[in-house]
Amino acid sequence: MKNFLIILMLMATTNSQAQHGKATTVKKAFSRTTSVQIDIQADASIIWVLLTNASDFPRWNSTVVSLEGDIEQGKKIRLKSTLDPKREFKLKVKELIPEKRMVWGDGKGNRTYLLEKINESTIRFSMSEKIGGVFFPLYAKFIPPFDEPFSQFAADLKKEAEIIQD
Amino acid sequence: MTTGQLSQTFEEISGQLKSYILRITASVEDTEDIVQDTWIKASDKLHTYKGNSTLKTWIFAIASNLAKDNLRAKKRWVENVTDVCKEAAMKEPSHFQKAMEIKMSSTQANFEIKEHIAFCFLCISKSLPLEQHLCLLSKEIYGFKVVEIAVIIGNTEAMVKYYLHTARSKMIKVFEGRCALINKEGMCHQCTEINGIFNPHQKEQEELAKIDMVRAAESGDKEHLFDLRMQVLQGIDPFESGAAALQLHHLAFNRKVMENYLEKNQE
Repeated sequence: MKNFLIILMLMATTNSQAQHGKATTVKKAFSRTTSVQIDIQADASIIWVLLTNASDFPRWNSTVVSLEGDIEQGKKIRLKSTLDPKREFKLKVKELIPEKRMVWGDGKGNRTYLLEKINESTIRFSMSEKIGGVFFPLYAKFIPPFDEPFSQFAADLKKEAEIIQD
Repeated sequence: MTTGQLSQTFEEISGQLKSYILRITASVEDTEDIVQDTWIKASDKLHTYKGNSTLKTWIFAIASNLAKDNLRAKKRWVENVTDVCKEAAMKEPSHFQKAMEIKMSSTQANFEIKEHIAFCFLCISKSLPLEQHLCLLSKEIYGFKVVEIAVIIGNTEAMVKYYLHTARSKMIKVFEGRCALINKEGMCHQCTEINGIFNPHQKEQEELAKIDMVRAAESGDKEHLFDLRMQVLQGIDPFESGAAALQLHHLAFNRKVMENYLEKNQE
């Protein structure tokens, strides 16, 4: 019973941290999932515009070196991140429901963006990336942690969206 | 709404409308065509005006659509337009000879630095994506509200806010990097160089000190300096100002140079 309560407390702490813009990672044998959530005082449409204008990303998002292509359902985009600026990730926009949900991904994993209306002035932004597969244990150690850039991404998005909203 | 009311409003705003379209197209001929077409279209479609916005906003929306049609197939200008055009002007002495003739013969050829500040912005802002350009002009120079601009460009208020923010950020960055009036490290001194040609006996520092933006340059507040730049533009009608004939001559030249430059540098 005591252990169960400790687990519940840990889960609550993790969730609370994620909601305040601090990313967390859950590691399993064949996958790793990093998540972040942050509440943003801006219209969903403003947050959505920022998330879907590829070439504008480097202006406001300090974790993105470049993002090329059109962020539209089924289209391919090419991302260079500050985590590994020399490497270009070729991703496909797998799902896109305007102002609600978007999924980018490749063969190794998916990144999901969610917008949820909390109240008239607040949108909860969530971003999670799950990397995995049967060969995941073989290359897991070569993938750097995402926590810091995820937290930064969320903070940058909040800052930019709230400036535009004002 | 009657044709008489439309006519009266059109008359009242025609100066603003003309300068707005000129700042979008950089062409006197296109401006005159678009303003005329706006009147024709507004008269034809007057029955569709339901009063959901002011008549002025509705007319600006029609004019903006016509301007967008006019520019749809044309490439946007480049940020360093003034460098490119200066280089071209240096190779074409007849351009300055003609400018001197205008100065001697026209009552609207009194070169002032603030007029060139407005001219410079007109040219450089044409490097912005068209929607951003329209939003920036509508808000910063013509004083429309976000909700009105949404009607003018036919988009959501959120998109207008986004365009305004990105356009302002871009222009602040460009002028901070280029304009020697606000940044000692700025590479562009074109306004004072040309002033030296047209007003060789003028005490330049005294003239510069009359411009709020120049006086505030030391503060380094980029947002405020941009607002002051916009104030300069708000005070100048490119068709009616004291240097209009001269500046429109330069504008026609820059437009020709840009068209050739963009054609040669097509990807």
